[in-house]
Amino acid sequence: MAKIAVRGLTYLYGQGTSTQIAAVKNCSFDIEEGELVGIIGHTGSGKSTLIQHFNALLKPTEGQILLDGEDIWKSKQSVRNSRFKVGLCFQYPEYQLFEETVFKDVSFGPRNMGLSEKEIEERVRQAMTHVGLDESYFNKSPFDLSGGEKRRVAIAGVMAMDPDVLVLDEPTAGLDPRGRDTVFSMIRNYRNKTGKTVVIVSHSMEDVARIATKVLVMNHGEIAMFDTVDNIFSKGNELIEMGLNVPQITKVFMRLKEMGYNVNSSVYSVEQAKNEILRLRGDIG
Amino acid sequence: MIRDITIGQYYNGDSFLHKCDPRTKILMTFGLIVAIFLCKNFVSIGIMIFFTVLCVAFSSVPVKMYLKSLKPLLILILFTAVLNLLYSTGGDVVVQFWKIKITDKALFNALFIIIRIICLIVCSSVMTYTTTPTMLTDAIEKLLSPLNVLLKPFNMQVHTLAMMMTLALRFIPTLIEEIDKITNAQKARGAELDAGKFTDRIKALIPIIIPLFVSSFRRAYELAFAMDCRCYRGGEGRTRMKKMKFGFRDLIVTVLFCAAAAGIVVTNIKFGSVL
Repeated sequence: MAKIAVRGLTYLYGQGTSTQIAAVKNCSFDIEEGELVGIIGHTGSGKSTLIQHFNALLKPTEGQILLDGEDIWKSKQSVRNSRFKVGLCFQYPEYQLFEETVFKDVSFGPRNMGLSEKEIEERVRQAMTHVGLDESYFNKSPFDLSGGEKRRVAIAGVMAMDPDVLVLDEPTAGLDPRGRDTVFSMIRNYRNKTGKTVVIVSHSMEDVARIATKVLVMNHGEIAMFDTVDNIFSKGNELIEMGLNVPQITKVFMRLKEMGYNVNSSVYSVEQAKNEILRLRGDIG
Repeated sequence: MIRDITIGQYYNGDSFLHKCDPRTKILMTFGLIVAIFLCKNFVSIGIMIFFTVLCVAFSSVPVKMYLKSLKPLLILILFTAVLNLLYSTGGDVVVQFWKIKITDKALFNALFIIIRIICLIVCSSVMTYTTTPTMLTDAIEKLLSPLNVLLKPFNMQVHTLAMMMTLALRFIPTLIEEIDKITNAQKARGAELDAGKFTDRIKALIPIIIPLFVSSFRRAYELAFAMDCRCYRGGEGRTRMKKMKFGFRDLIVTVLFCAAAAGIVVTNIKFGSVL
């Protein structure tokens, strides 16, 4: 059974007014347990709207969201459950920090779940380990931290709810390359340790290619592709037409193919590129 | 709920009133508000209604928009009307049941208060629908500029106050958007905003208000730096790209307004008061 199943989801903004816009149109797909799905699409393609359905922040205009096979809008209780089962971390999550200390802020989620003090502390410790911040941070004010640290604390705040599915909206937006690397290795570690399902929204192909197992491409509110990373990148031209950027290395190989070399243009990492070039040399030589 | 309030909203258009000088519109609106409360009989209030309808017609803003601006105040209007109906004294008793006596004066009072409030809201909506907030504050700055003499000893300028108002208005939509975002983020962490006792609900607002404050300060700093970078130095010696001009349209509006005001005063004297 799929972890999250989206069935014929349509969402209209400003329904019934002159400015009605369909942000998501008739989408259906399954996210399996343990997968790391990257959702990509240009600005305004409906990515953020889509993920806000996963934890019942938005109610579908049409269609259903099934979490573990159960409609999340079935009852008040199922709506509330979905908030804890699907941990959604918004863009620039550092702007939601509000407590006096990092510990208190990270414990906000677990506290809302009604856990005991002991469990809460356990959860906070675990989440802070996931994001690579040690105990010395617990009593600091979140407002005194650096941008990257704030981001990690905010993500820990969502991880601390120990959700089945972790959804991150542009987790690396506005971070420098080093901060991005940290966040990505953090997500990779989290997944290796817990084996949980992770969904990452991004408009950067390069980022998604680095960690995702499957990629969902959105275009004007519709699902353009949903496939493995390799299959997606073999359609580089289509992606470019949709206004998405493919990794630089993929572009190089697409050009090589155009020039008549017999290469596989779905290459998206330097390692693959090296192998491909070695293979080609072997072919020629 | 914040979104339902339409007073102070601009409706994009290109009508006769949109093109009027904002100063004229502000002065006329104040004039109208005074005039509304001068009306004492059915003829003068008739003139008032006619003038209000005229304003609405010349604003080319859909009537639906005006109804929308009246909607949140419906309860207030009804409440005042009922109070007037019950507590007015004098006049002949028209209806009587149990201890409640309703006199003809009370009926007129209630009717007039309804008409007055509606006219008041519609007239001020005409102004805000046809004038952008920036134009309004510019006009206020111009109209209040004589006060500069008074403010000088305190090292203040009317311009500063007007700029503060412009910026405040400019940031209302931004802050509403921000509130939405933060609310969603905290809901995603399981915050319950619409359940529990009153005190719980107030407490539940803390996770929203604090981030909102923090980001407002951040925005204020950023804006201040941005203004500094563009050499903003307050109002002194500042010129405008769009100069306000008193044109033929403003003349027409003023003449019509004066005619209506005169009509109200004359009919008030001629036909007496029904209140």
